[in-house]
Amino acid sequence: MSDLLNAYPTTIPEALKRAAVDFPDRGIGIFDGRGRHVERRTYAQFWESAKETGAGIAALGLEPNEPIVIALPTSWDWLHAWWGVLLAGGWPVAASGAGAIAAAEAQFDKVDAIMKKLRCRRIISSEGFRQQALEHGKQWAHDRVLTLNEILRLTPQPGFQPAMGQSEGTAFLQLTSGSTGLPRAVMISHMGALHNAVASSHAIGVPHGAPAHEWAQAMVSWLPLYHDMGLIGCLMLPIVTGLDVWMLRPPTFLARPNLWLELLGSRGTTFAPSPNFGYQLAAERIKPGQLDGVDLSSWKAALTGAEMIRPETVKAFCEAFAPFGFDPQAFRPCYGLAEATLAVTFDTRGEGVRTLGKPEGADDGYALAEIVSNGQPIDDTEVVIRTPTGRTLSEGRVGQVCIRGPGIFNGYYLDDDATADSLVDGWLQTGDLGFLADSELYLTGRTKDVLIVHGQNLMPDELERLADGVTGGGGLMRSAAFSVATGAQGESVVLVVETSQTEDQSLRNLEQEIRSQIGRHIGLPIADVIFVKRGKIPRTSSGKMQRSEIRQSYIDGNL
Amino acid sequence: MTKKETALAVVAQVSGKDPEELTPDAELVANLGMDSAKALELLVELEDQLEIEILDEDAAKLNTVGDILAFVERLEG
Repeated sequence: MSDLLNAYPTTIPEALKRAAVDFPDRGIGIFDGRGRHVERRTYAQFWESAKETGAGIAALGLEPNEPIVIALPTSWDWLHAWWGVLLAGGWPVAASGAGAIAAAEAQFDKVDAIMKKLRCRRIISSEGFRQQALEHGKQWAHDRVLTLNEILRLTPQPGFQPAMGQSEGTAFLQLTSGSTGLPRAVMISHMGALHNAVASSHAIGVPHGAPAHEWAQAMVSWLPLYHDMGLIGCLMLPIVTGLDVWMLRPPTFLARPNLWLELLGSRGTTFAPSPNFGYQLAAERIKPGQLDGVDLSSWKAALTGAEMIRPETVKAFCEAFAPFGFDPQAFRPCYGLAEATLAVTFDTRGEGVRTLGKPEGADDGYALAEIVSNGQPIDDTEVVIRTPTGRTLSEGRVGQVCIRGPGIFNGYYLDDDATADSLVDGWLQTGDLGFLADSELYLTGRTKDVLIVHGQNLMPDELERLADGVTGGGGLMRSAAFSVATGAQGESVVLVVETSQTEDQSLRNLEQEIRSQIGRHIGLPIADVIFVKRGKIPRTSSGKMQRSEIRQSYIDGNL
Repeated sequence: MTKKETALAVVAQVSGKDPEELTPDAELVANLGMDSAKALELLVELEDQLEIEILDEDAAKLNTVGDILAFVERLEG
């Protein structure tokens, strides 16, 4: 298959076991919520305590490949829970956390949906989570929530041997947004995860003449571990290649983005990924005085992916931090998705961010006149552009991005139909749109209805259901949610709502109610609420709403 | 400036909204357009300027301008 992994472990548990021996001085450092204190453990130490946790979880009596949800912030508890489930022979499923301010509702509804969809018996979380879930009326909180402390108090299974996994088998489930608002669980194989990690290190290393793990000491991440870029990019990659990794919690970064940069300048030769919005936030929020004495010249690769890369963000970031030694050529665009494990393409030229003019007919909804190159496919991976009917297009033509390679997922768990829609003759239909030029991929938009805000996927259904509850739409959905970008802030959400109301004050009240519902449940501000007459939102003959059409009408100014 | 006046000024500064829009029932997300990043920026600025530490449990309950003012009032009390 691939020669890339010849010298590497073939399963994820094997990777940690080997790291404990081959990289005895390397490990993981996790910062507390305030970003003040770091707790570091070597891979060797962690391998031992992960096995202990595995033995405790195994004592619960897991079915083989039983999915278990993890709902914890970035912490040593999270790492022990996730690896403990893995080593106990289960499939860990990391769920997202609550927002900092308000929006607690959404987390429990989401966990609810996940538990039902995956037929999950157990969730590992905190006492606080259990209490809050009960307060939100979630009955499963009575007997399905376990804390790590409770697990460690169980008598470990006698004669426990950690489950070492099987290379092509599914190792864990990665949650991503599905097309119906219900979460989809992507089955990621051991081989997929390891190949992606190693191939990424190789791709990052191309302009430097050697894989990243041969010249870097550490990665620094603020990304959530329930996101593929955080889990594969910032946990699997360092473990399998023997790098140090320093982790901040996402809210810690959002509150104090300077901490991320301080670490990148002080932990040896480093590299780090982030969605565009992280770089935008850093450029806007960090005050010059906060980085006194920080030298960013040791930060050799700033990977940017997970959402549309914006040239104005890159420019602003370079201008803000060049005085501190940041090299614009450190910017390395990449593209990927959970269904391909993580990375699909990487810029390998290392000449900084490069663009081409937006082609005729490409999506106007991103306020981009130029499209950033996302680079070339990683090792053993092919990318083609296809029409809706599956015909391969030549360079320069915009179509759907289709992928083949070792990172392609094993399918969606318990959702064969969705799998069959996405995997056609061994090719992954990404739902993303773009073109190739000089063998490099340029992303122009997407056909799928997912919204990407701050690098995270969000399903329009969630918003529409909340809006619909306000207008009293009954059975038929009455609103359509989509996203557009108007500038450096990236995608923001627009809601088009059908209503028979015409009176100004009533509409204002309706709008307030809708914004409030969505604000309280999801913590998401809506950029624009447009009211239209009943029936104005186009639907197919089978009643399916056509969001891309109403989105186009909005972009064209026809609403 | 009183603590409440400082808090209002911080909300205005972070949200970029005019003082008239900062009514007690103005919701941080729905009316002042705050996303998670803005919300955390607000918390940090309130902490820095009021010289306090806001615990996670308290932060989670701050939905409106009024909630923030009531919280600050409790500090002064």
